[in-house]
Amino acid sequence: MSLEISIKDKIKRNSSMFVNFVKSAVTASPKVQNNFLDVSAKVAETVLKIVKDADLIVDLNYKGKEFWSQNRCKTACFVDGGVDKTSIISSAPLSIRAGSYVVKPDAISKREYFEESMVFLGDLYDPKNELYDFIDDDFEEDQMLNKKKDGARIIFEAATIVKHILLNKKFDYCFLHGPIEGTVMPFSVPGFPTFTKFAVENMFPFAVNKKTDIAARHFINVYLEALNYIKKGKFPIYGIVETSNSAPYVKNLLYNYKSQGKISDKDYNNFIKIIKKYKITDSHLLEIILSSGQALKPIEIKKQIQGFTVTTGSSWEDKMESFPKVFIGYIKTTDNNSPIRIESLNNSKNLIKDYEYILGTSRLLPNYGFPVGLNVVDKFAKIPNWMSKASRKYYATHLLRQAVKNKDQNTISLAVKILSKKARSWRNRPIGGITK
Amino acid sequence: MLKNPNWKSIGTVLGETFIDCFYFSLKNYKAKKGDIVTTDSKVPSSEGKIIPVTVWGKISTIESSNAFFPTEAAQELTNEDIDIRDTILPTTRDELICKVVILGYTKDEDKSSKLLPLIYPVRPAATVKYPSSEDVEALLISDLNSSHPIYIGSLLAREAVKIRIDADNLVSRHVSIFGMSGSGKTVMVRRIMHEMLCKNYPMLVLDIHGDYLGFIQKQQELYPDNKIKLFYPNLSVSSEDKEIIYTLIDKLGKPLTDPQKDFLNSLLEKVKYESGSLLKYVKLLNQRSREYASEGSTSFKNIRPASMYVVARSLGQVAKKLENMEQTNFRHRKKMSKLKFVELADPATEPEKIISKGQLSILYLKGYETLPASAIVSILLENLFKHRQEVNEEIPPFLTIIEEAHNFIPSRSENKDDLPSVETIRKVITEGRKFGTGIMIISQRPSRLDETIASQCNSQIIFRMVNQRDQKATRDRSETLDVDDSKQLPNLANGQGIISGQVVNFSLPVQIKFDEKLINEDIGNENFIDTVENWDDSEAVKERQKFAQDFSDISDIDNRSAN
Repeated sequence: MSLEISIKDKIKRNSSMFVNFVKSAVTASPKVQNNFLDVSAKVAETVLKIVKDADLIVDLNYKGKEFWSQNRCKTACFVDGGVDKTSIISSAPLSIRAGSYVVKPDAISKREYFEESMVFLGDLYDPKNELYDFIDDDFEEDQMLNKKKDGARIIFEAATIVKHILLNKKFDYCFLHGPIEGTVMPFSVPGFPTFTKFAVENMFPFAVNKKTDIAARHFINVYLEALNYIKKGKFPIYGIVETSNSAPYVKNLLYNYKSQGKISDKDYNNFIKIIKKYKITDSHLLEIILSSGQALKPIEIKKQIQGFTVTTGSSWEDKMESFPKVFIGYIKTTDNNSPIRIESLNNSKNLIKDYEYILGTSRLLPNYGFPVGLNVVDKFAKIPNWMSKASRKYYATHLLRQAVKNKDQNTISLAVKILSKKARSWRNRPIGGITK
Repeated sequence: MLKNPNWKSIGTVLGETFIDCFYFSLKNYKAKKGDIVTTDSKVPSSEGKIIPVTVWGKISTIESSNAFFPTEAAQELTNEDIDIRDTILPTTRDELICKVVILGYTKDEDKSSKLLPLIYPVRPAATVKYPSSEDVEALLISDLNSSHPIYIGSLLAREAVKIRIDADNLVSRHVSIFGMSGSGKTVMVRRIMHEMLCKNYPMLVLDIHGDYLGFIQKQQELYPDNKIKLFYPNLSVSSEDKEIIYTLIDKLGKPLTDPQKDFLNSLLEKVKYESGSLLKYVKLLNQRSREYASEGSTSFKNIRPASMYVVARSLGQVAKKLENMEQTNFRHRKKMSKLKFVELADPATEPEKIISKGQLSILYLKGYETLPASAIVSILLENLFKHRQEVNEEIPPFLTIIEEAHNFIPSRSENKDDLPSVETIRKVITEGRKFGTGIMIISQRPSRLDETIASQCNSQIIFRMVNQRDQKATRDRSETLDVDDSKQLPNLANGQGIISGQVVNFSLPVQIKFDEKLINEDIGNENFIDTVENWDDSEAVKERQKFAQDFSDISDIDNRSAN
């Protein structure tokens, strides 16, 4: 009983849980709204019991001054990617870059440095010999563009880590801002373009024999190659996710218990239904269950799952099985924020030390509780507005020039349509009254 | 052509540029605030050609930031006593962004290095260069285009760059020198006086504290060919200036009622006094009014003897105070027995004794209260100005230096509008340019100065200033003081000032050259603790102490027996 009270109190104090409660109040039925607090408390209590039963909670050690004097000799690399926010329609994302921040506190020279690992302006994807890869349907076109951008960012980030491994860098740790393995299902849609030979050659030279095979240059194949290479890396590589909008840890934990016969199929299925119904995520639950400085040991999770509508029957279905499994754990770095998700392709032998290092770097942001190195590289890799603006201007001029050169009236109209598309924005709506 | 391929590159111009300023990213420690920098650019000429130019500017602000260092991290470092160098936080990503106020451009093809106003913005991404000290100095001299430049110090950011100001504008267009006590105003004035003496330009200094007596002490050594005269005031009155008596009674005596004023008026008409010492005149009026009162004179209609006595008493008070001031001034002069003080000549009849070529005249006003001092200055300047206005000029152009100017030209808000010097100085400063009667006003309280007079000064030299009202007054009255420079005013060190206006063309932060040899040795320093440590009582005090105990004992015994 006392446990339940304590969890209920925690829920009341918990900001993200409260936000979810408010969301439910707007979208869910009155019954769901009424039950939210009680259900959440009971779910948390149950998960806590299972987590304790599986002995997954570990207490991490962090004493600021002592920690940093012991770890000042470690070399850490932080990787993040950035995408230009422009939405000019084109076959290629305009500006993408991935940056690395490498730091060794006690180094006598070159204590820290930044690397802009790769910069591509256009021409990342193969345009299939069309002048403009342009789809008539606006909605579909935007979706595809977003997928291309996401695909480009993910591949760039992976390529950056690959490059560090290829160059035999002596890192003690490498951290990626985001999942170590992204879900590839969105890129399995028909018509998703392949990468250019040039791009693949530059990013993944070990895949050089694949350059003649167009299918081998598809995102899913290239990414799989990259992940397999990263998995073999000689230094620990972790992906750190700030907020978890799903419940992979809890679901997989319960699935394992079900597989071991420790809970019934019925209970498992009901539980899954409940967390879907109340939109309960790993973040919500673990924020209540874990205390600051505590971590959950990783469990092995399959990220690419067969059977989704998009992949069913497609040529990619079998490929999903080839992707490496991911080890997912959580660390609650501060009292005030939800735990961060830690992903890796290998189960580390020095797990506690590694997690303590992540906690230490997160404590340098005592309120936000996220590895400060990733915060630094995030700012570095972010494409600044002036760069976006400049690339947009350059691209617009280039596009129109090409169209005029072509002399074909339809092409010119198309170019004008593309350029003028951006001009229609809510910001440009007519203003009432007298305007000066 | 003022362009040197060896100028070091120190930064890169940022994305947006303007006609009047640009921003650039600076290499660490390669330039300072106030430094002069250049960048290559191109401008369209009036003939429609595109010509290469060098744009010159002054660094007005430098901002440093580390976008990669989160504020939260500072909190953890402090709380846990962690050394940042032990952590993974970046320590080398400081970004330095400088704002450059554009001074103008020089044409690369021209031999002249006169600065022209920029008509086209500089190129973004252009390299910013650090010109050599010689080239900066050459530019400043060339741009000043002065036939009489005078050296006053060096550029604050670069000691090697000597700064000169235009003496022609200095003596004709009026200058104001503001700054708090001890900030360097007097050092600056001495520097200017030194240079002007070397040019034999006549100067009249109204010296309240004796700050400029060093010139007399060092005359033989430093200025053997100049005349340096030290005057003490002679309060005189002429037949036309009898109005001063009303003001003196109002300010120094007892205010009069209307019948008493009528009596004073009649008295002034009756008592003949052509011109001469003001004190003697007041004493004469006092004597006559007493006589009339005691006689019960009936020659003044409707005025009773009692009213005459009141006027007499008031005149007596005025005479007493004037006498006291004269005596105080005399005592101060006596302390400096080595110096030769002479009574101020009559400016109406003998102006050449005060103003002549190569002469420095110092009027030592110490001891005088505001009103008499103002009257002295008013009469003096009025007469000298008249001589400059006349067709047959009897005196050459000259520069008047007014120390503690707020005493002579107070703001209207001070309610001292009736000081006679206000009107006189206002006239001289307004019309002075035509007649060669330049004025230099010096004050530590610019907010207390007459607004019209202060704004007539076309050049300003500003030193450290903390008082916000004074800072605002300085900014309001200067058309050329750079806004960013003015923000620096509270942080300037001794002898550091900002010069702006027609003597320099553009605002420049300057370290003034300190002329140690021109300090008045008799004034001494302000180290009173040392003075007390070395204190020895005077002979008179020792004598008094010899008998003091005896007298004290007598009093004690007397008190005991009484009890």
